[in-house]
Amino acid sequence: MPQYKLHYFNLHGMGELPRMIFHYAGVPFEDVRFEPSEWPQLKANMPFGQVPVLELDGKLLSQSYAIARYIARQHGLAGQGDWEQAQVDMYADCIKDFMINGRPVHDEQDPEKQKVLMTKFASEKLIPHMAVLEAQLAKNGGVLVGKGVTWADIACYAFFNHATVKHPDILKDSPNMAALVSQIGSNDNIKKYLETRPAYH
Amino acid sequence: MVFPSRPVKLLRESLKMPGYKLYYFDVRGRGELCRLILHCAGVPFEDFRDIDYFKDWPTIKTRMPFGQVPVLEVDGVKMLAQSMTIARYLARRHGLAGQNDWEQSQADMYCDCVYDLHNATVDATWEEDPVKQKDLFNKVNQDTIQPHLEKVEQHLVKNGSGHLVGQGLTWADIAYYAYFTTPIMTRLGGEVLTKAPHLKKLIETVGNNPNIQKYVETRPVTSG
Repeated sequence: MPQYKLHYFNLHGMGELPRMIFHYAGVPFEDVRFEPSEWPQLKANMPFGQVPVLELDGKLLSQSYAIARYIARQHGLAGQGDWEQAQVDMYADCIKDFMINGRPVHDEQDPEKQKVLMTKFASEKLIPHMAVLEAQLAKNGGVLVGKGVTWADIACYAFFNHATVKHPDILKDSPNMAALVSQIGSNDNIKKYLETRPAYH
Repeated sequence: MVFPSRPVKLLRESLKMPGYKLYYFDVRGRGELCRLILHCAGVPFEDFRDIDYFKDWPTIKTRMPFGQVPVLEVDGVKMLAQSMTIARYLARRHGLAGQNDWEQSQADMYCDCVYDLHNATVDATWEEDPVKQKDLFNKVNQDTIQPHLEKVEQHLVKNGSGHLVGQGLTWADIAYYAYFTTPIMTRLGGEVLTKAPHLKKLIETVGNNPNIQKYVETRPVTSG
């Protein structure tokens, strides 16, 4: 078994998806977590001064989605063949877009400005694209691509598992997505990880 | 023994090559990397860019998987959305993705870095006031581009082949070429690569690829 180490802050953020893929696949890895105060000393060691970083037998890979895709491919969670793998990438990118476009909304301190940003994000991205995911799940028998769970499904789980803490109603109009989130959350490895995972922040 | 006639041979050849149609607006933006990969690989495709935003887009939008472009339509039957996903798929199918899983993930990493650079530069790209545009560009250059280039130079030197990944051209090289030759870069970014001579040389190498050169000579001139 390759020696994997994942380096990230002691937060969910962009590190949670790679962690969850490892856990779902039952693949052991060293979950290296550090506090923001330790970051200045560690930054220079990272390929682009950012985390998460995957360390594999001494080699380094950065960019959370490159890491996620690599681990998924190595452990049968990426889809079968080029076209399916591309479909998986596409749905995963949809979740990545939610995170990138949701970030400025999340970071806005002024409540009035935040409300405006949230409305724009919800109407232009979140709601229409969640509808696309919902329709695909209904059409494809409960998973996004092919016959089994892929990392795109796990990306949905990671995102909505985090989002439902502050926005408990986010899945109220998406029963298929709610079912997928519940299905992934029922996986024994994921359940075990969530029991011991540091608290939400 | 009956030998296939020439028309039959041509038909067989055309059946092997998938029918690609790339939907995107008549700008470079998020579609250009996909176009460059196809041209570089010498793969024919329909570059469907005559999309009027007000007349055509409302109808076309409803047919796109996520109501966005670029979209790659294959053989008129299946569609793929998300610019980086399309680019990766095309790179993989046409020998520009890297030689093994690890190399492919390295290429993915570099391309995600370029995607981040594009996101950081988008406000500057579409700013109409030239003074504001220059300020925005200089800030992105100082805060984001230069620190990134420092790391890329180190990796390029360490890799030793002149390319970002492995021994040959990958879509990662093409992605950096595409980003550092955008209209805004060409106009305001004259000094941007001064401290990155290896990347500068790589970008020139990609630009000198005959297929890319031929495309760039006839490509429509657009503002972004």
